[in-house]
Amino acid sequence: MFASKLTRRGAVSASAGLALALSMTACGGNVADSGAAADGSEFPSGPVTLTIGQDPGGSTDRIGRALAENAADPLGVAIPVVNKPGANGALATKEVAGMEPDGQNLILLNASLITITPLAVSEEEAVSLDDVEVITGISQDDYVLVANADSGLKTMEDITSADKKFNFATTGVGTGSQLAQALLFKQAEVEGTDVPFDGGSPAMTALLGNQVDLATIQLGEAMPQIEAGKLTPIVTFSEERNQYLPDTPTAVEAGYDVPVSQYRAVAAPKGTPEPVLAELKEAFTAAFESEKYKEFNEQNLFTPTQIDGEQLAADWKGYAEKYKALTEEYGVDLGGEK
Amino acid sequence: MEFFEPVINGFGVVLEPMNLLYCLLGVMIGMLIGVLPGLGPAATIAILLPLTYGVEPVTAIIMLAGIFYGAQYGGTITSVLLRLPGEASAVVTVFDGYALAKQGKAGTALGIAAIGSFIGGTVSIIGLTLLAPIVAGFALDFGPPEYTALALLGILLVATVSNGGKLKSVIAAGLGLLLATVGRDGFTGESRFTFGSLSLADGLDFVPIAMGIFGLGEILYNLEQRHNKVQAPAKVANVWPSRQDLKQSSGAIGRGSVLGFFLGILPGGGATLSSLAAYAMEKKRAKNPERFGRGAVEGVAAPESANNAAATSSFIPLLTLGIPANATMAIIFGALLIQGVTPGPQLVANDPELFWGVVNSMYIGNILLLIMSIPLVGIFVKILRVRAAILAPITVLITLIGVYTIRNSVFDIWLVIFFGVIGYLMKKFGFEPGPLVLAFVLGALLEENLRRSLLVFGGDAAGFVSRPISGVLLLVFLMVIFLPLIQSLFKKAHAKKATNTDDPSRKNEKESV
Repeated sequence: MFASKLTRRGAVSASAGLALALSMTACGGNVADSGAAADGSEFPSGPVTLTIGQDPGGSTDRIGRALAENAADPLGVAIPVVNKPGANGALATKEVAGMEPDGQNLILLNASLITITPLAVSEEEAVSLDDVEVITGISQDDYVLVANADSGLKTMEDITSADKKFNFATTGVGTGSQLAQALLFKQAEVEGTDVPFDGGSPAMTALLGNQVDLATIQLGEAMPQIEAGKLTPIVTFSEERNQYLPDTPTAVEAGYDVPVSQYRAVAAPKGTPEPVLAELKEAFTAAFESEKYKEFNEQNLFTPTQIDGEQLAADWKGYAEKYKALTEEYGVDLGGEK
Repeated sequence: MEFFEPVINGFGVVLEPMNLLYCLLGVMIGMLIGVLPGLGPAATIAILLPLTYGVEPVTAIIMLAGIFYGAQYGGTITSVLLRLPGEASAVVTVFDGYALAKQGKAGTALGIAAIGSFIGGTVSIIGLTLLAPIVAGFALDFGPPEYTALALLGILLVATVSNGGKLKSVIAAGLGLLLATVGRDGFTGESRFTFGSLSLADGLDFVPIAMGIFGLGEILYNLEQRHNKVQAPAKVANVWPSRQDLKQSSGAIGRGSVLGFFLGILPGGGATLSSLAAYAMEKKRAKNPERFGRGAVEGVAAPESANNAAATSSFIPLLTLGIPANATMAIIFGALLIQGVTPGPQLVANDPELFWGVVNSMYIGNILLLIMSIPLVGIFVKILRVRAAILAPITVLITLIGVYTIRNSVFDIWLVIFFGVIGYLMKKFGFEPGPLVLAFVLGALLEENLRRSLLVFGGDAAGFVSRPISGVLLLVFLMVIFLPLIQSLFKKAHAKKATNTDDPSRKNEKESV
């Protein structure tokens, strides 16, 4: 008897704790939402939250934080960054897309989520650009195909003439790294097995340890090892040569139709008023021009690329279609054998 | 002497007042969050990252590193006093630490843990100083097949570590392995057991499971048991362990430190695995293994020395190769990049002040922790001696807020509650929660690396045996399975020859297998 009474009391105190925790989070949300007029005349009505769908510390997070820091002054309010990792960013994107369209909540988008991930995952997990208003494109970062310097592989010709089967590391299923390599090797008629790793750093580790023959990772991540002479860059997957690796040809130059980069953009929920979007865009433009932001990008080997929101939406849709057509043409299945 | 010049200059860097202050700040925050269940060093470092923008890179990293190894100290305190491991790496400390606390020897357990941690950390720093410049080649030989073998060995050790019935441990471990399969398949992109929920697409996170099963489950269970105090022992007298305790644990501290150092270097190894391995090793070595789980001092000394040694040595792959060995290192990696410093093979050569400054700060930090932890134990215990009716809801609140802060996810709060109920039911029906949580961690590692290895081998499993490191690990795996069997057969034959009476204790052992 007594025990059951105490159990109930325990449950009550536990749920009281929960209620408090929940109400605190609810308050946090209210501060940002309160008092925003529908026409955007009172924008910004408080701190503007930038949600990032990736873990803290990664390149997306670092770009987002640097941008938020430098856009806060021109916008006149703080831009706190909140990380909500999950499902390559789909979780955060869907959540922000469903919020009040008042400009107080923004999301940092990775193009791969819209252009590449849908090729690997089921439909309900995919995210569409139609759910958001793109404010501005912010960066284009390139992937580079690298080999261990000990292997002696230096060019695409070395690979195509080697007449062997290659194991190539990717940064995961449904990433640009996987798509770029799969398309390249199909087009070059090189036999290869794609070995997915959980991100760029483990993929690079495996390559450095000769566990795999080749890897495709983001240029900024590979650069220290390239400079140390441990990795040899073979091609980059951008349409033009990357400013940080001017001597490395692009895959397109080498004769392969594989234009894959990681593009990033800032977006707001669908239906955000035009004046609000304009004000936000202005703040981000000022951030782009700030010396501090330029310095940040150079130090981290990022390539800031400001593209107009509408242009970007059209570009990304174009890439999505192109990737779909290419994977069908060459029989590439990012999901592997199911 | 040229080799030592940068090392000595590094000490000069740490002793600058600003750096010293941040070092102290870091280890204090670390210890505090180690005590509070729910907030881990990874989450704390992530939250505090913005604070480090304004200071020099070396100062920032000194503080962040302090949080990391300080948390290893703090995690012990709640493991011993509350049976709530503040950190995953303090899970095995619970077994004997809490048993000691129940016997009124909480002070001894904490004292031994502090001394073991200090020695473990120190051994690692000396090792780091000597090995950092040459370790690069070795860590890279660990590829997917080696991790597969390591994970297999780890899961096997789970069964030996736990204290409940072997069958129940295996069931709990099996459940842990099943939980590890939830989420998007990393090789095909297919969703497994996500029921269409995006929150489950990345699988279940370790933290909500550990916090639910260990934290919430334990609180619920205790309330039902009418333990009016959440097991805070009345007195933590006599923090300095007796000479006999020290003598008893000195071997364990030494072995744990060395083991932890080596396991910490391996990418993906880290503090949790090494504390587990050190505990298992001591239990295997002991003359009376049945003392373990009932308050063996070695059972606290070994894992505590090992996890601190591993926490320190996990900086080796980060600082020498630019490879983060675990989640916390990944965040520190990010912090370095924010500061414009790229960790990698050239760091020691290009930026010796930063490298040796951070390494040597750990030495200073460990001394600070040793000095602080013994007097502070009294304060922590005072915090913890509050009545259950007050402490339980506060702990629940901190746990739930803590878990929310990691991913800003309300879903994770529900997960903690769900696993809290599971943990409560497991306790009630006599299942040890340890094997579930540890098998969960290792399960994901095993599956990924097994499939990756088979891709690399082109489907030929013989590769596992032909590679030297994975071959040796698999041999050890077989030895761990068969050696006790052979031993007991041998003993049995021997015993039969000597006397014809049945040994009741051995009979029990056989039944529980």
